Amino acid sequence: MEPSTDKGGNPYRKRFRPGEDLISWFLLGMASLAIVVSLAIIYTLVDGSFGFFTNAKVDIVDFFIGKNWSPHGATPSFGMGPLIQGTLMIAGGALLLGGPLGIMAALYLSEFAHNRIRAVAKPFLEILAGIPSIVYGFFALLVISQVFRDHFDADYFNAASAIVVMAVMILPIIVSVSDDSMKAVPREMREASLAMGATKWETATKVVMPAASSGIMASVLLGLARAIGETMVVVLAAGSIAKFSWSIFHEHMTMTAYISQVATGDIPPGIGVQAAFAVGLVLFAITFFINWLASKVVISIKKGGAGSQRKKRRGLLNRAIHLLPNLTNDIMDNVRSDKMSRNMTLRNLKERVGKVVLGSSLLVALAFLVFLLYSILEQGLSGLTPHFFTNFPSSDPAKAGIWPVIQGSVYLVLLTMLFAMPVGVGAAIYLNEFAKENWFNVFLRRIIQNLAGVPSIVFGLVGLTVFVRYFSFGLSLLSGALTLAIMALPIVIVTSEEALRSVPQTFREAARGLGATKWQTVWHHVLPNAIPGVLTGSILSLSRALGETAPILFIASFFSKVAPNSIMDGFLALPITIFYWTKHPKQEFQDLAATTIIVLLLILLTMNAVAIFIRQRSQSKRKW
Amino acid sequence: MPGKEPKEASIDLKGVNIFYGSNHAVKDVSMRIKHRKVTAFIGPSGCGKSTLLRALNRMNDEIDGCKMTGSIFMNGVDILGRKVDPVSLRTKVGMVFQKPNPFPKSIYDNVAYGPRIHGIRKKSALDCIVEKSLRDAALWEEVGDRLGESAIGLSGGQQQRLCIARALAVDPEMILMDEPCSALDPIATSKIEDLIFELKKSYTVVIVTHNMQQAARVSDDTGFMYLGELIEFGPTKQIFQRPKQKLTENYITGRFG
Repeated sequence: MEPSTDKGGNPYRKRFRPGEDLISWFLLGMASLAIVVSLAIIYTLVDGSFGFFTNAKVDIVDFFIGKNWSPHGATPSFGMGPLIQGTLMIAGGALLLGGPLGIMAALYLSEFAHNRIRAVAKPFLEILAGIPSIVYGFFALLVISQVFRDHFDADYFNAASAIVVMAVMILPIIVSVSDDSMKAVPREMREASLAMGATKWETATKVVMPAASSGIMASVLLGLARAIGETMVVVLAAGSIAKFSWSIFHEHMTMTAYISQVATGDIPPGIGVQAAFAVGLVLFAITFFINWLASKVVISIKKGGAGSQRKKRRGLLNRAIHLLPNLTNDIMDNVRSDKMSRNMTLRNLKERVGKVVLGSSLLVALAFLVFLLYSILEQGLSGLTPHFFTNFPSSDPAKAGIWPVIQGSVYLVLLTMLFAMPVGVGAAIYLNEFAKENWFNVFLRRIIQNLAGVPSIVFGLVGLTVFVRYFSFGLSLLSGALTLAIMALPIVIVTSEEALRSVPQTFREAARGLGATKWQTVWHHVLPNAIPGVLTGSILSLSRALGETAPILFIASFFSKVAPNSIMDGFLALPITIFYWTKHPKQEFQDLAATTIIVLLLILLTMNAVAIFIRQRSQSKRKW
Repeated sequence: MPGKEPKEASIDLKGVNIFYGSNHAVKDVSMRIKHRKVTAFIGPSGCGKSTLLRALNRMNDEIDGCKMTGSIFMNGVDILGRKVDPVSLRTKVGMVFQKPNPFPKSIYDNVAYGPRIHGIRKKSALDCIVEKSLRDAALWEEVGDRLGESAIGLSGGQQQRLCIARALAVDPEMILMDEPCSALDPIATSKIEDLIFELKKSYTVVIVTHNMQQAARVSDDTGFMYLGELIEFGPTKQIFQRPKQKLTENYITGRFG
């Protein structure tokens, strides 16, 4: 029986494939850049804060619990209390407003909405999520704030307008995460409830919502982290006075607003600038903690079983069984009371009213979007003349144009993509095709997830420390593009991975079964079929980068009035210009900010249309 | 297990165990797959027959958390051993999958893909291989005049024969078929079955099927698996007419449950 092993050697011996190994190491290297970026963030914040905390004028205890924040003058005081208060008040207020609204909208979409309404609501929420924060900032300061000034005697800068606008900004993430978790509730649970004679409304509120509670919780936490990390709205609308006050109609400064003050040069070099790094460190720690909490909550949902779908569903069903007695009692009470029929009308009425209330949450958000677009068009449309496109920025509003600004933005975004796309796609290929399920790759994925949650202003600090200073690239196009690239990296990785995952597994099996190596399989079959998806995702992240303001606030120079000639030149970008013109005291410049917003939105719209076109075309041509 | 063929030409499985994480999917299977014969694995779904099949070309390596122990001797080499390169192995052991999975390319490029990645570049040589493989897969008559067309336009049965041609093009010694007819209609199925009969003249064929009539029709040897164990293995005639095990008999006569 024993086959002879000395005969003919081993026809299946290991072949030496240096290329294959080289490529997989190379791709691993690209994925590992995420770790390098994370280390750069930590280095920046810790190193920057170190100078601050070791400064003789700084009392560490006072920094955390002090109530006086005045970084200027001979005897500066760094008690972060007012900054934390401002941050929590605005983010908390936004959550109080946007949280219920978002959960209501999600419940409506998941349980009651027609497919046709869902088909409209999804892109609508994507639009809300796609509008750059600088546009929301403009709207908060020049439109919403005006309303509060007129009717509530608010300060010119006030927290209330920031709260209102931010509530809408965090809506998309709350709705999409909540909606996903409600839709993940198994159908059997709904059927069990309906079969007992519960109305749809009772099923939705008493069975589906409790079962999806951890997902809803996670969505709220993600929204909170987003609100705390948001910069442009608060710096424009809420102002820059750090004072304890509980009135939302007063001026407040947040942590992000202080850092951006440093970015715009309003704080003289020295300890005040170092303080920004310390504030950045605290901000980073807070958002990291909240995002971590959110991921923990999500994981606890998934841990119904050891990963398997069936076990997960069984876990949820078990929970449903615990929930059902509540419902039974409710219904049995109704049955026992002899007024069953009257109760039935009451319960039906409840459902009808509830549906309307839930649905109206979407209408509120829609009305907000319409109001926003209308205000911007009204204020900016008249400035949209040919010479606005061809002229250079000027101190005379009648002559001012944005030609070098458009050029600057285009160069910036193209350069960003040049850096982010190869690395992002390479990392995605590594993670999706090469990575085995081991601790390192789990760690890598977590790092990438965390990077996506880092507040954009923190990337500004990193860009300043690493690219401008450490690599001495200066305040250049190169520094700006690299900063945006490390920020866009997680999005490019995630969207590319999605595109790779959509290529059927059978292609891989067929190629591997024929003796193709991993890289041959990827290069011949996976990548060609994933390219439309990769392109779509890249264009979408490109459009995100185009609208980003906070990270390049440190780097873009408002004083460079000509387009950059080389990557080492200074540059101006559309969102930066909008930022400065919105803050400009003259009405004419504020109008120009609106005009620039129109241009920015048109460019974004075009890019998104191209992305959608590519997606549609590839889907209609797709044969598998 | 009677065997008159040269030892090296057959494939010997010895104490093969396969685990998916903590799930013991294949339990201590030993058998001899005979040279240029058709061997069928039958059994209820989840019994481990596909997993065992995928061990023969190490496709299980592609699944995270899959572990194999024991040995499979092929040409005197233990293909589960560390010295074996799964990629080289797969050029000798072709595979046809449950659902036809042609690449979204032309018919020609589908068949030529294997030879190309193994270094054949000359057009005339490729043409020759493509024609021979398509002929061997009984598809040449139907598609010989439209090789440039997309493989996706073919019918399901033609696609599956194309996948067989694609596997033949790398000149394997053995063909593994994982329920190759489960997605096909009866006419396409009978064409594949005729083809299997032709194939065994030059190749060793191992087929997994849930269809007992098919196993009875096409195979020379049959192994019945249940809950990861090889319950009974022997000549197909004997398995279907005089099974030695009660379990096998129950399954074959449909009294299972």
